[in-house]
Amino acid sequence: MHGLFRWSSKWWPGTIPLVVLWAFAAWSSTVPLESDLAARSTSALKDTVLDKTRIEVAGRDVIIAADAFSDDGRRSAVAAVEAVPGVRLVNDETRLVPEARPFVWSAERDVARVTLGGSAPLPASKSRLLEAARASLGGVEVVDQMQLSRGAPPRFDNAALLLLDQIGKLKDGKIAISDSKVSLSGMARDLGGREAIAAALKNLPEGFSIAANEVKAPPYIFQAYKDPVAVTLTLTGYVPDNNVHAAIAAAAGRKFFSEKVVDNLKASIGAPSGFVGAVVPALGALSRLSTGTLVVTDREIKLSGDAFYDAAVPQIRAGLARDLPQGWQVNADISVKPSAAPVDSTVCQQLFSDLLAKGKIRFESGRAGIDPDSAGLLDRLIETALRCPTANIEIAGHTDTDGEDAFNQTLSEKRAQAVADYLVKAGMPASRFTATGYGSSQPVATNDTDEGKAQNRRIDFLVR
Amino acid sequence: MAYLATFHWGWLTAAGVLGLAMGWIAVVQRGQGVSKTTSRWLAALAAALVAAALARAIPGRPGYWLDLGLVMFAIYLLGCAVGSWLRDWVVSRSAKPA
Repeated sequence: MHGLFRWSSKWWPGTIPLVVLWAFAAWSSTVPLESDLAARSTSALKDTVLDKTRIEVAGRDVIIAADAFSDDGRRSAVAAVEAVPGVRLVNDETRLVPEARPFVWSAERDVARVTLGGSAPLPASKSRLLEAARASLGGVEVVDQMQLSRGAPPRFDNAALLLLDQIGKLKDGKIAISDSKVSLSGMARDLGGREAIAAALKNLPEGFSIAANEVKAPPYIFQAYKDPVAVTLTLTGYVPDNNVHAAIAAAAGRKFFSEKVVDNLKASIGAPSGFVGAVVPALGALSRLSTGTLVVTDREIKLSGDAFYDAAVPQIRAGLARDLPQGWQVNADISVKPSAAPVDSTVCQQLFSDLLAKGKIRFESGRAGIDPDSAGLLDRLIETALRCPTANIEIAGHTDTDGEDAFNQTLSEKRAQAVADYLVKAGMPASRFTATGYGSSQPVATNDTDEGKAQNRRIDFLVR
Repeated sequence: MAYLATFHWGWLTAAGVLGLAMGWIAVVQRGQGVSKTTSRWLAALAAALVAAALARAIPGRPGYWLDLGLVMFAIYLLGCAVGSWLRDWVVSRSAKPA
């Protein structure tokens, strides 16, 4: 032992190369050591839920800076790095993410994109929400402006995912959660969307409640377009159900005697009340136009087009104002079609015959009242009469053989007179028209069949 | 420490070998050693550095370099001790028969 002390006094010269060795070791090993420790620390933190994690290593000391979501999370992150072999000191620069009071999350949709904003509780739920938004909105750009915050209500994720499903049903609008209150605003994409959203909201997780649901339904639109060139009536838009659909199609068939009805209507809920009561008279008004468009938007009716003659315009307006259910508004923009060139009597007769071959003037059964569905045809007859202003016209009423001859005779006379009165009311000079009833004396078809009888019940216009 | 040993085994071995060589030479060297006073001061310095390292008083890279230096120095001393003892054993064994 004594020798060891004696010898040790002579060990000092070796420290000079030792210092050189140490300097080399320090110079060459510092950076690899630091990156090795950084890699080990990072992998030690893999299972810890942190945001904005930053690890810096100086020598064997690790600085860990991160946003943690709970005190436990902070402690376990520091402990995990302290347990990494080779780490000497851990400088804890973690902090808790700020607590949001109130905890607000929102999804806002405009035409081109959906913006997710406000707070999300954890990185995992944030990415789940983003993924769900992209999946349910296929093709729409999703913009993420969410921040991470503490203080989310329980079952936040479930509520937010359910609400994200609803944003797909909106055309534009905003859905927000504030603590446990849900508020919605905007315009539903489809008719029925508002109702579908309201139904889905019943499945909100326990604890959440609706503070405001101001989702509006899109306007309920029904359109009809009368095209005189293609001789069609095109119906588009919505009807409440199949019964109403059938009723409207039947009414269109009666009122538009020569046009082909192109029916593109779809059934959808959300119709304003009194829909049929408003649409049928509006179609009647459209049938009196030479060309025209009818647009029913919620409870507003917009009718535009050309009437056949001047006196028809106030008649159409008055008819609409009278027939529409309460609460409906009309905006009629009706002009008058330029009058057609005059023709001679022969052509006039031909035009009358053509018109009356396509459609018949209808009356109430067994009576002389003109069916309002015939207004369109009568307008066309009046327009034709205006083209031959000098011709005198006999309006001839005919019946089938059902019933007594005397009754039929009277009925045919009254019906012919009713038509003549209608023409006079439309501004034609009464002197040009004579109304004659022929009863069943001049059949044009057999009276043995219903079809033949229907042909025999008629009004003819004869140019004299 | 185990981590330093595995990470720097090359440098530590070199320090040990250097110590072994120095210890081997020291037994038969005729030169003057350090005086008792100086060696006490050096021992005190070494103790202070060890204390600083254990207390982790020096932060960052200098702290790591201190640790590394002290470990290398400790292994150097161990090498010296083993070297000197071996040389002494060899010298005394060859001296006895003579």
